[in-house]
Amino acid sequence: MPTRPAGTHRGTHRGTQRADDTGGADGSGPSPRGRRSTPYLLISPGLVVLGLLFVVPLGSLLVTSLKTGSFAEGFETAVRLRNYSDALSESWEPIKRSFVFALVATVAAGAIGYPLAYVIAFRGGRYKNVLLGLVVLPFFTSFLMRTLAWKTILSDSGSITSAFDRLHLLSLFEFLHLVPDGSDRLLQTNVSVIGGLTYNFLPFMVLPIYVSLEKIDRRLVEAARDLYSGAFRAFRTVVLPLSIPGVMAGSLLTFIPAAGDFVNAELLGGPQQTMVGNRIQSRFFEQVDYPAAASLSFVLMALILIGVLLYARLLGTEELTG
Amino acid sequence: MTDQPFHAAIPRLTAERLARRAFLRRSGLMLGGVAAAPWLLAACGDDDDAGSGSPASGSPSSASGTGTVAGTGTVAISNWPFYLDADDSGDPSKGQTIPGFEAATGYDVEYDELVNDNDEWFAKYSPDLEAGNPIGLDIAVLTTWMVERLIGLGYVEELEKANIPNVANLDPSHADVAWDPGRRFSLPWASGLGGIAYNPTKTGRDITSVNDLFDPAFAGHVTVLTEMRDTLGLTMLSLGIDVTTCTLADAQAAAAKLKTATDAGQFRRATGNDYVADLITGDTWLAVAWSGDIVSAQLENPDLVWIAPDEGTMLFTDTMFIPAGAANKAGAEAWMNYVYDPAISAQIFAYSQYQSPVVGVKEEITKLDPALASNPLIFPPADVQARTFTFRTLSAEEQTEFTTLFQDVIQA
Amino acid sequence: MSTIARRLAPRLLDAWAGVALLYLFTPIFVIVAFSFNDARRFNVIWQGFSLDAWRHWTDSEPLTDALTLSIKIAALSTLAATVLGSLIALALVRHRFTGSGVTNLLLVLPLTTPEVVLGSSLLSLFIDLGVSRGFWTIVAAHAMFCVSYVAVTVKARIRGFDWTLEDAAMDLGASPLRTFRTVTFPLILPGIVAAALLSFALSIDDFIITFFNSGNEQTFPLYIYSQQRRGLGPEVNVVATLILLVSFGLAVSSIFVQRFRARPGPR
Repeated sequence: MPTRPAGTHRGTHRGTQRADDTGGADGSGPSPRGRRSTPYLLISPGLVVLGLLFVVPLGSLLVTSLKTGSFAEGFETAVRLRNYSDALSESWEPIKRSFVFALVATVAAGAIGYPLAYVIAFRGGRYKNVLLGLVVLPFFTSFLMRTLAWKTILSDSGSITSAFDRLHLLSLFEFLHLVPDGSDRLLQTNVSVIGGLTYNFLPFMVLPIYVSLEKIDRRLVEAARDLYSGAFRAFRTVVLPLSIPGVMAGSLLTFIPAAGDFVNAELLGGPQQTMVGNRIQSRFFEQVDYPAAASLSFVLMALILIGVLLYARLLGTEELTG
Repeated sequence: MTDQPFHAAIPRLTAERLARRAFLRRSGLMLGGVAAAPWLLAACGDDDDAGSGSPASGSPSSASGTGTVAGTGTVAISNWPFYLDADDSGDPSKGQTIPGFEAATGYDVEYDELVNDNDEWFAKYSPDLEAGNPIGLDIAVLTTWMVERLIGLGYVEELEKANIPNVANLDPSHADVAWDPGRRFSLPWASGLGGIAYNPTKTGRDITSVNDLFDPAFAGHVTVLTEMRDTLGLTMLSLGIDVTTCTLADAQAAAAKLKTATDAGQFRRATGNDYVADLITGDTWLAVAWSGDIVSAQLENPDLVWIAPDEGTMLFTDTMFIPAGAANKAGAEAWMNYVYDPAISAQIFAYSQYQSPVVGVKEEITKLDPALASNPLIFPPADVQARTFTFRTLSAEEQTEFTTLFQDVIQA
Repeated sequence: MSTIARRLAPRLLDAWAGVALLYLFTPIFVIVAFSFNDARRFNVIWQGFSLDAWRHWTDSEPLTDALTLSIKIAALSTLAATVLGSLIALALVRHRFTGSGVTNLLLVLPLTTPEVVLGSSLLSLFIDLGVSRGFWTIVAAHAMFCVSYVAVTVKARIRGFDWTLEDAAMDLGASPLRTFRTVTFPLILPGIVAAALLSFALSIDDFIITFFNSGNEQTFPLYIYSQQRRGLGPEVNVVATLILLVSFGLAVSSIFVQRFRARPGPR
């Protein structure tokens, strides 16, 4: 638990506020110390690693995405911009599908995760850490094992599927296009893949929301409750807006990996659930078409970037790099 | 040139590939001066895992004319699953053949069942093979059309027949094939049939035809193989097309039939060997399946059945070869020699229940278990043989055309 | 709001949270349960209770090899990532310098790039350079994305640090190095340890990036992926349960340690 520094309520600031120092409530930062080159020395090993293993590979991917040729003839370095439009048109269905799946999964994770985070933060009391631990614990088993477990749980002859069938939930899913018409199963449908995505990325939603809820000064909430007629109004006008940074971080941390995932679609989905990640994987590991795979990767990144910028514009915060 | 099958182009392609390989190796070393260091470290580090990447492993100490060749070192083999006798948990290194080979020769065997699909294997290893890097395998087993392609690309070592005297036991039908004359580069491991496996308690009736795969009553409970020749081949047979002489138009007709079915949600998945698990749980009711796999499946779910459909069944042969740059070529050849002994072959195929390429297996299997001598999977009866077909050889261009056509259809 | 609703709402919330937790644990129950399945090759339908898998899970060499490999890789990449990431975090929080914004951005970018892209770009680089993919390429890939996680985690943890303590130490005559060693470092250590644990967990469980860059090597997740196609036995469930128990044990013991250290009393 970070201790509240003694200088919290002092008006003086040590040096100017930096953008990445706004998270804490205190206004004082460390006094400038050491030689001017110290920070650069500190960051250079890490930056070299990131540079070599993140930036340079992206460059290599870019070069690959512009190549022509095939494996048989050999790939030649070129500037074939048509690779991008080809990738977009060939894989448009999976791209659309990935974004829809990721969006639905994010909303579902938010619907499940926000109340959970709220309960832990505001009603957890002494058991906060225990509850948080419980939220995180399942994710110490292998991601693949958890997804395969869902395959067993949602099996056609399993109790979940037959229960859903009897409760007519399957008909509801059919109506929502979550399962194919006339189907009697949950696996290899949209619902199982979205379910897998929601489940696997739930902690990425819960934890950031919890952190931002936890930071809210309880006295603000009490004051709001006194001023407004009820707890719900207090929540809506005080707590909810203050938790937006957490919701935003959680949504991004859920949406972005979900859009690029291929494991859930491969293990829980069928041919109708192919996502962009599956296409990229098959271009690399089945068709050996590196330019197509690379250009599709960039198309995915570009679309995600556009989506994120729109989202940031919508919610209007600068907390992205905080 | 364009319509010639691969084997005729082998000398020319090999020469081209060797030249390119040398160039790539040189330029790779230049650019990857620093980056190559981790690779070198990896080669050193792998010694602990006894991969065949380090050159020190594998040296024959003697070579006798017949029988086993003694030696030291590791032989790394990669094969399809369910192809080698194993213990109850499915671990082949605890079966009979591998321990027997290790005891007889002194080699250590590292056997994995990681081959799941020919194209996947190719995609995984071709960059290294193309660059001339060893891939850490002494023997790999792939289907004939892929081995043909690898031979054409120069990725395969030539066999030293003096080290494989048991090659005399090779069935004459396999002895000389158009794509590997004199079997200089490869030897068959097993043959099998692509047919239909199904669960009668789920389908409610007997299955006899390929068209049953397309029956809307089973929609969402049918799986097909990602292996083009099996799935597309069976579909062509259902349309009355002769797969031994099929044209691109024929392939398109079959692909269209598959696409209609896929769009209607008929097929649950397109799989490699992973259809077996779904058959066991009952999620899949019918699957395009390889003959011998049913044995492993029946151990878990005795209801399952495999049939050769009325329209015909697709024959395939999975073939052993030594990838270029293998560290223990002598060990690999010793393995090939060992498994071509009829008694050993009987042992292997009594378990896997595929078809052995070795002469004299029937007599040996009868000694092990007389009932197996009439097992229809190991020794298909005459009526099945009459409707067994092999997909015709495709040229490189045709291979790409057919594959693209097929993959676009089975992946929505 | 009516009194009934006011009374009901918290209960409903609690119930919802309880359902959510149950949802989180459902696959875990299945995984643990199936480790007791009397199955040998395929562990997909329940066939009866058996302790065989628990007794013999170490017999499977491919499994233990994969697990050992994963642990080795995680240890190495965590070491690298923790050192590099903590240094960056320290620099960003303690100092102001031009380029801190770019550094921040560079740290966050890998976290917001889909793993498919991270994995495929590394593969593309390794192919271009002719680097054979294996143990060290996996370690490198893991170190890369873990640096970001470590840096962000440590940064968040040391933000609340009371820098006046450093000033006090220096005023008392300690050199900057001594101050760091005896004052700063012990206090930021919990944050670094937390980040290291996070990095270790991420590395052990990583699938997508490893899938693209593993060559012939089989880490534990890759073993599961390739094995499930032809029969994933209950031994894997045993290992997953063990990992869960170990993590649970570590978490519980860390809570006790925290409680112990926070106890008021003579120091």
